[in-house]
Amino acid sequence: MTLKTVGLRKAFGGVVAIDGADVEFLPGKVNALIGPNGSGKTTFFNCVTGMIKPDLGSVVFGDRDLTGRAPHVIARAGVGRTFQLCRTFPRMTAVENVLAAVRPGGVVHGLRSSHRRTETERAHHWLTRLGIEHLAEAEARNMSWGQQKLLELAGVLMAEPATILLDEPAGGVNPALLDRIGTLVRELNAEGRTFVIVEHNMDLVMSISDHIVVFDRGRPIAAGPPAEIRADERVLGAYLGV
Amino acid sequence: MPNASKSLLSYGLPALVLIVAIALFPSLAPNPYILSSGVIVLNWAVLATAWNFVGGFTGYISLGHGALAGLGGYATGLLITKADLPSFGALIVAAVLVAALAVPIGYAALRVRGASFVIVSIALVLILLLVFQSWSSVTGGSRGLVVPRPFPGMLRPDHHRAFFFLYGGLLLLALATWWLLDRSRFGMGLKAIREDEDKAESLGTPTFAYKLTVFVVSAAFTALAGGLYALWFGDLDPVFQFSVLTGSYIVLMALLGGVRNLYGPVLGAIVVGVALEYFKVEFGNSPLHLVTTGLLLGLVVMFMPDGVIPSLTALVKRLRNREDSSIREVTAADLAEQRREREAAKS
Repeated sequence: MTLKTVGLRKAFGGVVAIDGADVEFLPGKVNALIGPNGSGKTTFFNCVTGMIKPDLGSVVFGDRDLTGRAPHVIARAGVGRTFQLCRTFPRMTAVENVLAAVRPGGVVHGLRSSHRRTETERAHHWLTRLGIEHLAEAEARNMSWGQQKLLELAGVLMAEPATILLDEPAGGVNPALLDRIGTLVRELNAEGRTFVIVEHNMDLVMSISDHIVVFDRGRPIAAGPPAEIRADERVLGAYLGV
Repeated sequence: MPNASKSLLSYGLPALVLIVAIALFPSLAPNPYILSSGVIVLNWAVLATAWNFVGGFTGYISLGHGALAGLGGYATGLLITKADLPSFGALIVAAVLVAALAVPIGYAALRVRGASFVIVSIALVLILLLVFQSWSSVTGGSRGLVVPRPFPGMLRPDHHRAFFFLYGGLLLLALATWWLLDRSRFGMGLKAIREDEDKAESLGTPTFAYKLTVFVVSAAFTALAGGLYALWFGDLDPVFQFSVLTGSYIVLMALLGGVRNLYGPVLGAIVVGVALEYFKVEFGNSPLHLVTTGLLLGLVVMFMPDGVIPSLTALVKRLRNREDSSIREVTAADLAEQRREREAAKS
């Protein structure tokens, strides 16, 4: 399923954050969204995931128009996301953080135990996969920044989205963890998940992405494979100001 | 996941103590006054537990729950006097009506968070106070509304005893419902809202529908408590039924006991409820009880933000096992252990 936007626009007062963005991400690939600070990447993410309602244009996922829908509707349609300043449920344990992503689906299901065996096993599976299983019973607020980033990703994966949007996965993490996150993204992508990553770390972006979209002043100025983007004059101009 | 013995200790044992206490209290009470105080304390316990459906799960602090109880009381009274419904039929119908009314109230109020929600909830109380005072042709206005007793021939002590048991049953029902939600997926979603509403929404939780549903459940229990009060006390006055103080006391009780705990609000209701009765007897209508409860609220918020039960449990845990003082230390130790193991495996 392809995630794309058509003529997306969002202004805050007089500031136009997104200015008629037509973006199409490649399904089944690792897509990256790069651009200078203030180029509208996070606002774009927020419009796509329903956290902000766009003024104009549309967000389409597969054959579904998700424009302006509530975030939980978009999440259930199969678009998961992490936050730039990673967000977990601080006073819930790691395993509860992951279990919170289970969809209740109906009244009867909703009243069932939140710790049913099949779900708990799946939650532990994701914690193990992300290397934080030993912290399963620790409250998220007592975990380190890097551990919380992994925990946030575990929760998103628990909801089984087809497309995952990561907002600065490398922000504030050490080089070893950075490598691990890069490897994880590639592995999870190989299993069929589409990724869209907003990231400033160019080494990470260039090494893991198949397709890069460059944003400047609220709209894409270039799109293509890493090698092409690296050589693009407009990109160099936007990033380096030459 | 809490294991069976732990959940028996933290849920089953207190439930047993509570049931035994409710069963024995009326026989042990030395006089009808003490028994009537028991009814009042149980009323507070139901109100605080009902409040905790919203406050404890979602973290939305409502000061307006007193108004929902007042609505339940007035609806019960009016259904008996104007619609000739039997007392307990009126009580149930009133609770259903208040639950239905909670849908539009919640729809409007739950759109705002934090301090704004608190203010909206206060506004609810003040608006209803004005309505019930001014609309005297229906509500009796400030002259009050006399509600006929459900057991006309019954002597006063027996009347108190009957209502003590009715309140006891309602409290157990409210606690059982809270427990059921607490362990459910729905409850997990509600707690996720308390922790980070936007995050919960982004994970696929329909947060608004969840909040509204639990607000309606909370309103229904609150209205039942208010309706029982109307049947027991037999006289309603808008000034007392729609008072911001009622909501404040409920919040104090829940916070004092601990809002993340099933029995927290009950414990808080017993402590604060008994204290309020004591102040009423000793100091009459002086504002001393307000000063003291205000002071108590300040102390709780500053020194025991999680309430008495969690603070005491933490204290017991510390005394029992001094090394196990925080999760962070355990985690660090875990990591060090793992590092040693890894290094041992390498070499």
